[in-house]
Amino acid sequence: MSDAFLSIRNISKNFGSVRAVSDVSLDIRENEFFALLGASGSGKTTLLRMLAGFETLSAGDVVLQGGSIADLPPNKRPVNLMFQSYALFPHMTVAQNISYGLEMDRLPRSEISARVSEILDVIQLSELARRKPDQLSGGQRQRVALARALVKRPKVLLLDEPLGALDKKLRSEMQLELKRLQSEFGITFIVVTHDQEEALVMADRIAIMKDGALLQVGTPHDIYERPESRFAADFIGVMNFVPVTQTAQGLETSDGGRISAATTLRLADQIAGVAAVRPERLHIGDVGENRVEGNVLAIAYHGLDLQLHVKTPIADTPIVARITANVADSLTPKIGDRVTLSWSAKDTHIFPA
Amino acid sequence: MVDRTTFRLMLLILGVVFAFLYIPISVLVGLSFNEGGLPTAWTGFSVKWYAALLANDDILHAAGNTLVVALFSTVLATVLGTLLAIGVEIRRRNGKWLETVIFAPMIIPDIVLAIALLSFFSLLGVKMGLHTIIVSHVVFNLAFVCAVVRARLKSFDWSIVEASTDLGAPVLTTLRRVVVPVLMPAIIAGALLAFTLSVDEFIIAFFTAGAGRSSITLPMQIYAMIRFGVTPEINALATIVMSVSVCALALSQRLNKGGLPGQ
Repeated sequence: MSDAFLSIRNISKNFGSVRAVSDVSLDIRENEFFALLGASGSGKTTLLRMLAGFETLSAGDVVLQGGSIADLPPNKRPVNLMFQSYALFPHMTVAQNISYGLEMDRLPRSEISARVSEILDVIQLSELARRKPDQLSGGQRQRVALARALVKRPKVLLLDEPLGALDKKLRSEMQLELKRLQSEFGITFIVVTHDQEEALVMADRIAIMKDGALLQVGTPHDIYERPESRFAADFIGVMNFVPVTQTAQGLETSDGGRISAATTLRLADQIAGVAAVRPERLHIGDVGENRVEGNVLAIAYHGLDLQLHVKTPIADTPIVARITANVADSLTPKIGDRVTLSWSAKDTHIFPA
Repeated sequence: MVDRTTFRLMLLILGVVFAFLYIPISVLVGLSFNEGGLPTAWTGFSVKWYAALLANDDILHAAGNTLVVALFSTVLATVLGTLLAIGVEIRRRNGKWLETVIFAPMIIPDIVLAIALLSFFSLLGVKMGLHTIIVSHVVFNLAFVCAVVRARLKSFDWSIVEASTDLGAPVLTTLRRVVVPVLMPAIIAGALLAFTLSVDEFIIAFFTAGAGRSSITLPMQIYAMIRFGVTPEINALATIVMSVSVCALALSQRLNKGGLPGQ
């Protein structure tokens, strides 16, 4: 607990009878890039708005550097929010938008203009300083919104779906850009996103939210390689699920076969569960402890790799296997081919059904 | 599809309707420039009736009163109506009845409003004068300004209010630096509409005016003059009042594209 910069303590939010955020506790470190990941309606945006001060807490406390900020109004918090819609002031120029927050801090004019031109430089929009928001592209608006929040040098910057409105190529550029700005300014970032790939690329740590509660908190590697629930396994990346039952002999599939797993998670006897394996952990041919045969239903070409959809007797849905381009070159699989898929016990995850 | 004959018939009907609407006004404007001043014969173009207006002390006095009433009631109604519109939009939950209460002065017949205001002022024992006309005009103008500003607020992005707060602005600073500037076109449109309505309002002003010359407005003055027949001077005066109203209304529409009251 000693390294907690921002400490969220058992906070809840009720809207009438609906519990939007349910007893969430989180410790966020200084200069951390933290992602709140969840589907829409998971409570992630409500949680962010509680940190910004736009939603009151129904229960709990928020402590920043040892002092509670739960009762401070939004304009008194050393925290800034970058809005999903950007919320730029339409009647002000880019420069006026950015200087607004500094004027509210009553900084001297000379410092305001120095800081505005500095940040305009960082986001590479110096030439557009006199433009109005409706004369900018989506990507430019996004950077102005970011600059406007960043220029205040908040202790924590909250970002609500910061890249949601951008097209795919721009989004992947901005993911790295956000990370660069975060380390350059040394500000703690908390990003809300529904895009698991975005969270994996940008964040130091990720919290998965579901139904207002935290499901799992960890580094991108932890979350991807060691999901603690079926939901987390399914939500992050692609995962194949195989229904199994725990018997005295081990995990039994619906066709009587066995699956071996090397995990600490165990199912109670005679209880139905699912075994899971990532597509990239599957091999063509007999190279792992676990093996299944099936027919190729479909092949999806992705450039870097091929994805085989294989119909097997152990699962209702086709099993997806990812094969890198050079392996695929030597195998040249075709639709209808009979293939053997195998994977090792250490790559098997087990979850209750 | 409409065939050719039907289409022509419809055009004809349209023409008749427009003629019905605008011929009287055109005649009035035309006669105000008639040298001889008689409605029966055109004797040549002249602006002498406009010059006569400038020499008529009663009319100038009434015009001054009208200007005072229109300016004060517009300013008051604009400030109050704008704040009312913002307040109502923020607290939407109160639903339909609040809207009805606010828009009632727009719908209630002027004569009813006039009698009500007269009774109200006499109940309070207020001495009548220009100030009571101003207050009365604020009553109905407030509803119009509120309607125009609310129409604009329907498409207002409230997240900029939160953004302003988030950047450290107190409530009044947000109102002054973000909300009002963004709403300004609608506020000006509402003010122009209020000004227009106030300038040619007769019934309510007539009922709530004080005794004597000091609270006679232009429409009241015209009414007084018309009892001795329509003079060319009145035509000229009516033309001026109409021009002012049309300009203000056109400007108001232009500033506030879409969103007149009731729409």
